[in-house]
Amino acid sequence: MHMKSNKEKPTKYVPPKKNFKQKMIDIYHYRWFYLMFLPVFLSLLIFHYFPIYGIKYAFYDYTPFKQPEWVGWENFSYLFSSARFWRAFRNTIELSFIKLVLGMVFSVGLALLIDEIRSVTFRKLTQTIVYIPHFISWVVVASIFTLFLSPQSGMVNAIITALGGESIYFLASDSWWRVVFYLLNLWKETGWGTIIYIAALAGVDQEMYEAAAIDGATHWQRVRHVSIPAISVTILTVFILNLAKVLNLFDSVFVLQNDSVIKSSDVIGTYVYRMGIVSANYGVSTASGLFKSVISVVLITVANKINKKIKGEGILG
Amino acid sequence: MMTEKLSFKKGKRGRAAFIICNTVFLCLLMLIMVIPLWKVIVDSLDPTSVGIRLWPKQISFYAYKTILSKKSLYLPFFVSVYTTIGATAVGLLMTTLAAYVILQQEIPGRKLMITYIMFTMLFSGGMIPAYLNIQKLGLMNNLLVIILPAGVSTYNIVLMRSFFESIPSTLYEAAELDGCTPLRTFWKIVLPLSKPALASVGLFIAVGTWNEYMPFILYMQDNSKMNFQVKVRELILQDALAGTAISASDDMLKSAVVVVVVFPFLIIYPFVQKYFTKGVTVGAVKG
Repeated sequence: MHMKSNKEKPTKYVPPKKNFKQKMIDIYHYRWFYLMFLPVFLSLLIFHYFPIYGIKYAFYDYTPFKQPEWVGWENFSYLFSSARFWRAFRNTIELSFIKLVLGMVFSVGLALLIDEIRSVTFRKLTQTIVYIPHFISWVVVASIFTLFLSPQSGMVNAIITALGGESIYFLASDSWWRVVFYLLNLWKETGWGTIIYIAALAGVDQEMYEAAAIDGATHWQRVRHVSIPAISVTILTVFILNLAKVLNLFDSVFVLQNDSVIKSSDVIGTYVYRMGIVSANYGVSTASGLFKSVISVVLITVANKINKKIKGEGILG
Repeated sequence: MMTEKLSFKKGKRGRAAFIICNTVFLCLLMLIMVIPLWKVIVDSLDPTSVGIRLWPKQISFYAYKTILSKKSLYLPFFVSVYTTIGATAVGLLMTTLAAYVILQQEIPGRKLMITYIMFTMLFSGGMIPAYLNIQKLGLMNNLLVIILPAGVSTYNIVLMRSFFESIPSTLYEAAELDGCTPLRTFWKIVLPLSKPALASVGLFIAVGTWNEYMPFILYMQDNSKMNFQVKVRELILQDALAGTAISASDDMLKSAVVVVVVFPFLIIYPFVQKYFTKGVTVGAVKG
């Protein structure tokens, strides 16, 4: 009978209950670690938690030329009745969701293809090259493609005119701007996106493939019924982590934007910038930033709940 | 990993066809990734290169000589170098410290500390409150704004912690028995054993800072405090929007500036790449 206790499942580590004196001894024991945490604590406090206090300006009328004055929900009622704000909101949702879905589909696809490579050298070469664009800043990506897509001297338009077409000013055309935006995002991030799926695929138990092969599964069936289910948890995790950032769209849009495509490219981030930094209307711009943050929090909380249901545990612990 | 030979025996032809198609497709994809970058390099060297040409017909270093003679580009380059080195040092210190403290399973308040760090990923004040905060702190126009906050990214801390977990804990215990303070253990044992993780996280922070653009636009006012990214953008936009005809030498110069700003990364990348593939993988699977 006494053997039974050995068979019990290992449970999660639960620290023993301690009284006050023991706790103080523990804290003293770890004193050096608290000292080590201090710089991290201060850095986050000053650069992250202080600004959160500044959210109160969403409820103030505040410009550089006068004292902040409490106005309640007025900034929000201004925003919600502003056509430009809703345009920015719609654009943000559309641009970031299409970008997110496209990016994930292409990354998973590319990861599966890279996983099929059997030559170690070719595999390394492929990975090395597809990761490069991730490390190039949006400013430089915008610069490279401003030259590449230029209507006067760009390579793409040279090909179009050589084929008898008319040259297109891609970045200043309302109908082309979004296409270019999605393509540049794919160019920059697809390769880097594969890194996590390749790691997950490498972790799949080889016996599963062998068992499937013995059962007469074709190669495609093995990919379909072993590989893809094996990385589905990773796909979900990546999706949720990205969902938190969905509304934060800013740098990429800001550097590719110009006045002629404002209609199809203005997002909340750039709207906040114009309102807050260019027009110095701190109240309204803080309010629109807050609106964005609150939606982000709701999105990630819901997504984390769903994730918990499916996986049994959330990413946020 | 399974090894598989290309075989054209009956019944394996479909597989062989797939392997060939896959290889060709991936090669094409790599070409697509590389052509825009390659084209910039070619255009920076060839004064006659316009349009479709992908190989320089003649090579001239005119554009690079012009850049070297432009003293106005020296200072932004120096600002980029200075902030990158500073932010990488501060960032690595913060990341390793945070990861090492969180590694201690039994430290009182561990959960609180993790929540304190994780929360930053979930919610932030946003652009304008951050801007007003920097203004109130009197840090406007001060490069410390770029250097100091660079360190603490949740993602990097998780990555670093997963790596620390792979160091056998007997090493820590032995050091403690020998009377090392945690600070000494950290400095003498943890850090020297973590070179791959330090290399990859260091690369992420360095590239992130080198690529920084918005904080300079938001927080720096003097022209002398702008980094190279800001200068590149200024140069590229100079006449693109005015719609005036651009001379060939102008295009060469713009291409050359882009090459100069990407170059430092392309030099370091091959050396660090093998580390970060490993580092990120550890973090991804565990974290």
